[in-house]
Amino acid sequence: MKTRSEILASGFGGQGVVRLGQVLGEAAVKQGYRVTMLKSHGTEMRGGYVRSQVVISKEPIDSPMVEFPDLFVALSLAAYRAFKHLVKEGRILYDPAFVVEIDQGLGCIQTPVPAKNVSVENFGRPVFANTIMLGVIADVMKTLDPEIILQSILQIIPKYHEENKKAFEIGYALLGNNR
Amino acid sequence: MKRYLETGNFAVTEGAILAGCRFFAGYPITPATELAEAMSYRMPQVDGIYIQGEDECAALHLCIGAALGGYKAMTATSGPGYILYADPYGWAIGCEIPVVILNSGRVGPVSGITGAPGQGEFYLTRYPTQGGNFETIVLAPNSAQEAMAMTVEAFYLAERFRTPVTILADQLVTDGFEDISVPENEEEMKAMGFRTWPRGINRGPVFYPPTDEIDIPPVVLGHNTGALCSDWTPTEEGYDTEEVVAHHKHAYRLIFKIRNHKDLFNHLYEKTFMDDDPDLVVVSYGTPSRVVNTAVKKARQEGLKVGALRLIHLWPFPDEHFKKKTKYLSVELNWDGQLVREVRRAAHKDAEVHFVGSCGDLPAVAELLEVFEKLLKGQPLARKGWELEEW
Repeated sequence: MKTRSEILASGFGGQGVVRLGQVLGEAAVKQGYRVTMLKSHGTEMRGGYVRSQVVISKEPIDSPMVEFPDLFVALSLAAYRAFKHLVKEGRILYDPAFVVEIDQGLGCIQTPVPAKNVSVENFGRPVFANTIMLGVIADVMKTLDPEIILQSILQIIPKYHEENKKAFEIGYALLGNNR
Repeated sequence: MKRYLETGNFAVTEGAILAGCRFFAGYPITPATELAEAMSYRMPQVDGIYIQGEDECAALHLCIGAALGGYKAMTATSGPGYILYADPYGWAIGCEIPVVILNSGRVGPVSGITGAPGQGEFYLTRYPTQGGNFETIVLAPNSAQEAMAMTVEAFYLAERFRTPVTILADQLVTDGFEDISVPENEEEMKAMGFRTWPRGINRGPVFYPPTDEIDIPPVVLGHNTGALCSDWTPTEEGYDTEEVVAHHKHAYRLIFKIRNHKDLFNHLYEKTFMDDDPDLVVVSYGTPSRVVNTAVKKARQEGLKVGALRLIHLWPFPDEHFKKKTKYLSVELNWDGQLVREVRRAAHKDAEVHFVGSCGDLPAVAELLEVFEKLLKGQPLARKGWELEEW
């Protein structure tokens, strides 16, 4: 990997934006990397804005700010609009259930990941969308070992281990050759 | 040594326990709620006590009560709660009661923005209560790991100076996750530079000597004391008085026990690229200092002679760092400029002192680099969203 990888995730409260960052951070710590993860959020438990900024590095990390994300996970239209311009050479993963309007003028790769709908189709509810998204991230992001990401999911999310495993596998296979 | 991906709140909790804290009273407030939550299950595990006060004022009063009962005690809050500490804070200063207080800075004034960082309490931590006639000790970590170290250090200084010590963190330090190492025994603590001081019991009188002596154990009620520990001016023997001379002696003690022993904490700063008399010295504390460090390293790669000075102990203010006639730039998480005023006061009379602020979000490296370049060329700063003042 390059010396420093930056991941930005943003959406509404309740979607698991912080959990997502925490899982990737935990996986990175398990692989011996230095990690910072800033979270900014509103007052509400659900519905407010949330942003996670994860930095993974081989070296001690000075600035914990994500300024040039290698990966931006957009889970709301407001978040997409606010941060899309930061992504230069990286990739945007967005859930089209929330990000309904795409800026075709961006130079980066933009990949739709219908995590919410896939979760509803497979599990009857949207709660596993986040794990599905983590499966997709494991597929596209080369820095972290997918096995260790899954292990971190099971460690951090105490419930529904079987469903989470399945959701992760669905996510990992979701893009297939469309990566 | 155990390695975790955890928050600064977790790191502070573990640091407090390592330092011997066995009493925590708090009132939930973002972004320090997780600290109270962690304490609520960690304290019983180490035979300690956790109490949720009815508000922050009560929480610090509870800590004072615990400290007067022989406990190392701690509370934690954010700006809107810190202001409610004003009454008990003065009591702890006046009766020389060691207690540790964490303020996790968010965006103000008042409730402001909860889950975003701010540095609006720089002066509030210097004057956390009314009346003056005292000096305060304030430590400002810039990472979860350092928040643990500074919590241990705060307990150490609180005991030796017999005074409340504030840890001024910001939301990104306490709420953010980071890989941290937690020592598991005394050797590992020593290897990490942690120092501790045991809680003693004052067998006075004299309880409040009119000197600048430190290392006097605090009053513990019920141990052969006649000390009242009330909110009035005490005599040397601990009785209430309204005599001006007695007050003068006590005030001398509260000010100079700290000012005359700065050598105990004046090593708490960090200098980056400061050996070659840089043309611009960037001054900061807390999380912004990490962005400053990245920006200064980049500036050096571009051949700009810029250095960074990060303050870890904020009060008493370390005037000794600002004696050079150069350009100083204070980078802060507020729009009004607080640290910069103190830099201006301490700086060489012919030094230039500048300020850039932001609030709720860190400045970007690229933006800081642009500021450095302009200042080195002597150009004025005119950027949307940035304020530049001549101080």
